[in-house]
Amino acid sequence: MLLEIKGLTKRFPGVLALEGVDFTAEAGEVHALVGANGAGKSTLMNLLSGVFRPTEGEILIDNRPVQLSSPGVAVSCGVSTVYQEFSSIPQLTVAQNIFLGREPCGKSGILSHKKMRSDARAILDKYNLDLDETSLVETLSVANLQLVEIARALSVDSRILILDEPTAVLSLPEQENLFRIIESLKQQGMLILYVSHRMEEIFSISDRVTVLRDGRKIDTVQTADISPQDIIRMMIGHDIDQSKGLKANSAGDTILEVSFKDRRRGFKVLEGEILGVAGLVGAGRTRLARKLIGLEADEDMDVILHGDKIDPKSPGHAIQHGIVYLTENRKYDGLFANLSVLKNTTASALERFSSYGFLQQKNERQAGTEILDRLHLVASSVDAPISDLSGGNQQKAIFGRALLCNPRVLICDEPTRGVDVGAKEEIYQLLLGLAEQGVAIIFISSEMKELFAAAHRLLVLHEGEIVEDLPTDQLTEEKVLQAATGTAA
Amino acid sequence: MRDPITSALSSKYGIIVLLGMTVLFAFIFVPEFGTVNNLTNIAIQSAPLAILAIGQTVVIIAGLIDLSVGMLLGLIVVIIADLMQGQSSMTAFAILVALGLGGGVGMINGLLNNLLRIHPLILTFGMLSILQGLIFVYTDRSVGQVSPEFSWMANGTIFGVPFSIILLIFVATFVSFLLYRTRLGAHIFAVGGGEEQARRAGILTGRVKVWAFIFSGLSAGVAGMLVAGRLGTGYPNAGVGYELDAIVAVVLGGTSLAGGRGSILGTIAAVFVLGVASNILNLMEISSFVQILVKGLIVVIAILLNQPKRIVAS
Repeated sequence: MLLEIKGLTKRFPGVLALEGVDFTAEAGEVHALVGANGAGKSTLMNLLSGVFRPTEGEILIDNRPVQLSSPGVAVSCGVSTVYQEFSSIPQLTVAQNIFLGREPCGKSGILSHKKMRSDARAILDKYNLDLDETSLVETLSVANLQLVEIARALSVDSRILILDEPTAVLSLPEQENLFRIIESLKQQGMLILYVSHRMEEIFSISDRVTVLRDGRKIDTVQTADISPQDIIRMMIGHDIDQSKGLKANSAGDTILEVSFKDRRRGFKVLEGEILGVAGLVGAGRTRLARKLIGLEADEDMDVILHGDKIDPKSPGHAIQHGIVYLTENRKYDGLFANLSVLKNTTASALERFSSYGFLQQKNERQAGTEILDRLHLVASSVDAPISDLSGGNQQKAIFGRALLCNPRVLICDEPTRGVDVGAKEEIYQLLLGLAEQGVAIIFISSEMKELFAAAHRLLVLHEGEIVEDLPTDQLTEEKVLQAATGTAA
Repeated sequence: MRDPITSALSSKYGIIVLLGMTVLFAFIFVPEFGTVNNLTNIAIQSAPLAILAIGQTVVIIAGLIDLSVGMLLGLIVVIIADLMQGQSSMTAFAILVALGLGGGVGMINGLLNNLLRIHPLILTFGMLSILQGLIFVYTDRSVGQVSPEFSWMANGTIFGVPFSIILLIFVATFVSFLLYRTRLGAHIFAVGGGEEQARRAGILTGRVKVWAFIFSGLSAGVAGMLVAGRLGTGYPNAGVGYELDAIVAVVLGGTSLAGGRGSILGTIAAVFVLGVASNILNLMEISSFVQILVKGLIVVIAILLNQPKRIVAS
């Protein structure tokens, strides 16, 4: 047995994150680790990679107990981790990042930059990773950043590779490339622990699946013997039906109208309407949102809100008009990582809780707590640091922030990215509830299924321009894809 | 379009271009500037700050900062001058004391930084106060006298080259080697670029930071020897203001206060830009108050030029 875990428990102040988990995995298998937000996947991963130390229980590698007391020790025990939030250092080169902490030295103890570069090149070539070893990491795309991380994990001859949501940021060809790499590592006898929310990829690459819920292990099963519905049931403890009655009838007047002075096509959103925005990565969906809230300028764009022409100069200005944007990248420009859940939630609406410039903390707390309760946010306390929360709960806090601004137009950019199925469902219900109250919702997503399930109408973007604008029931996934790839007749 | 001079100044080696331009200006417009005597003077006056700023470059690359070096330098000046009392026999011992005290206080800074987890700005400011207190508990007037060897170290020349410049070149070479050609150096850049990432990569970040502070402390020891040699005696206020001048030089030289990138050559060039500028103003008999103002302007303009992206964007 390559990896064995016995009775592993991790207790944080006020939270039992992991409780008596037993688990085994063999060399040469891809073992998927699934669970809803807060199920304990991240904790288990951090225990294996030496970031946390267990409260109780033991970890055995090759039937020998090991103390993974630091990330360095874990690496020397053969456990490498590719984290979801990337752990490269932006100011260094690809080669320097691959050999971070293990820089090659000559006999005299002098660092050999040449050897570092050529060794890095060798690893990149061996695994077919398309990267230049001399580029600075800060100039790389997110997908390439991940390749750097993988190259680093591979460079240490690890026997256990932990991948945390590796496809969350990848395009389709990049994903296929990753799967190919995983497959070849498996052939070489490596154990891959694969943490993911995405059912399709779990079924396409894993041999076994272990499901966690509320810090406990529910079961480990052969992937071939089970269906996605079974796994989802184990994850959330009950059935859900994604397609059931999500849409309400949209009605109402035009609330927002966007037109362009040049030949580009404009669009409208109605009160109570969920307007889906589809398109490939780089099609300009996020840019469109950023222009609407004044983060980017477009002199040829006219924005008409309730019949009045407005010109949002900054997000704050847009919020005053009732246009609120929920970022697609909450870690980068959504969260205040050092602030509490409550402060993160109330950040955009402090004016409401102030009188004569003094913050009325009681009002702030009351409003924040109320909205977080409504969103079913799970946290040990609203004063806990936001960074302690799972991805889904962080997303809820940011949702809460947007709701406290009383939006009339809510722009959600990939609101379900990196959250589990249960929380996704809650987010759809939330969007629907808002639409029923007359809020116009612009829903940007890369997941075709959720767009079709939730949106009343779809815009399709291709190379920065709107190429399709139709009610969802007059569209098919195929049609949308054709429009998005520019292959429509 | 930007003119070639502006773009050269805002390039990676902008500070070196600026130094070249300043020196050129001085040769053309200030006749007394080019004399051997004057050039030697500038070198001798700039060397201690340059050495101190090299140490500061190391801590800043590591994502830290060290405010205690000025007072540390002052304490070292007072103690070694008092130890020597002008005797040559004490020279070797005084050198050991200067380096030991410098490295030792640096190490204490590093250990406290790891232990207390206070921001290094506050921690080393505390150390600055403690050291200043120690100086004045020790003496409130100039004490002792340096040995002739110390005077020579600060003012003497070898084949016309000031010894202090040779020392500076040695320190710069040593520290550059350390930063670019050793594992510790690579880890100093890594810790400054992202401490948590470095930790996860298995780097013992605490140890790296202690070393960074030790280098900073050692640089105060070496600079202190030169300052003591120049003053000839243990003047209690010898180190006042040195820490800020060092930090200004580091930033002028293109090292990022956020950590993770920096250049020793840039730091040295920046020290000499400030040194040459103040020399020119002296030769032109401009009052020292105006000089302070000019120094501020140089700093602001140089920093603005070093941020081409922001200027172009607006």
